[in-house]
Amino acid sequence: MAHMLEERGLPTTVLALVLPQVEKTRPPRALMLPFMLGRPLGEPNDSDFQRRVLLQALRLLERTDGPVILEHFPDDNPSQFDRPGWEASVTLPEPGTYADADAWESAFRDEMELVIPAWERFEARFGRTTVGLSGQSLQDWPEFAASVLRGELPTVAAHDTTALAVRFMCDDIKAMYGEAAQADGPAPSAGQIDRWFWRQTVAGQLLIALRTKAMESPNNALKTVGGRFFVPVPYLPAA
Amino acid sequence: MARLEDIPEPTRTAVATIPCPAFETTPFVAGPPLSKRRVAIVSSAALIERGDTPFPFGSGECRALQRSANADDILISHVSINFDRAGYQRDINVVYPIDRLKHMAIDGLIGSVANTHYTIMGSTDPAAMVESADFIAAAFKADHVDAVVLAPV
Repeated sequence: MAHMLEERGLPTTVLALVLPQVEKTRPPRALMLPFMLGRPLGEPNDSDFQRRVLLQALRLLERTDGPVILEHFPDDNPSQFDRPGWEASVTLPEPGTYADADAWESAFRDEMELVIPAWERFEARFGRTTVGLSGQSLQDWPEFAASVLRGELPTVAAHDTTALAVRFMCDDIKAMYGEAAQADGPAPSAGQIDRWFWRQTVAGQLLIALRTKAMESPNNALKTVGGRFFVPVPYLPAA
Repeated sequence: MARLEDIPEPTRTAVATIPCPAFETTPFVAGPPLSKRRVAIVSSAALIERGDTPFPFGSGECRALQRSANADDILISHVSINFDRAGYQRDINVVYPIDRLKHMAIDGLIGSVANTHYTIMGSTDPAAMVESADFIAAAFKADHVDAVVLAPV
């Protein structure tokens, strides 16, 4: 896109997170960043740090030694690394095993009741939530998930297919739990939140169960979306 | 320095080996000092405003984000689940630095902030993005934008 916009007469500068891609595409100006995918500006709620990143990228526009300029940002962002002693802002009982869809529904609903107050603290603290893609009330998630586990194909008005409805419900579940986990205290690393969610919550286990069920489905869209867009590979159960 | 090696597989191999276009030209457009420039953002995070339909998978469309939009009601609808979202949960500026630009304009580091910014779905085939590139370029020129920051996710 940078190349295309520059060809059309617009000066561009790219915040880059993957060096091989920058080296192959050779945009006019790029600032190579040492941050993880998902964090091009590095550190949340750190305006000084983000300004440093943005300013270095924008100042590339003042260089005259193009047509391909690549600089590197020198500093890691602080919350890239695990925070010693971090614990999620909500204490949950260890997940169990659940014999059927009704058991999953009950366990998930019970766990959500514990998570919601922390999630509300997050909203109050940061003035925002990224929950909002599912098109459903969060109180409907347990029943919807149970329906999928039974092999049904429930739908919601906001999405064209069951596959999309489940995908965005999963996104919202991960968002709510991620926000609840970091409601209090300084920012943990992304890895700390992920390990807590996928290994210590009913919700994480539920999404893995939904993926398994989706991949057995005769509905090709659900099978494809479930296999690729519910659970990141590092957190899949061992084969 | 990151850190391909920090990205877990299979994402690491996927991002390192994704087919990338090889361009024959090397355009390079000059402009005024940064303090005089009008700056816009193009985000590949498939951003939407709360209540809007998420980007379809593989979509080459672009969508506008008005400078006046409530940043706390901007959500990521990108299809990939293999990037961190914990940072953006706390602060939209981690992926869409709209507030940072506004403050930089107030402080005189840049000239001004564009009225309209744009967002696309990253990982879409570049061949499918030509129409969006035309549209975005025309829109930015109409708004006298002379600096574009491209932010990935």
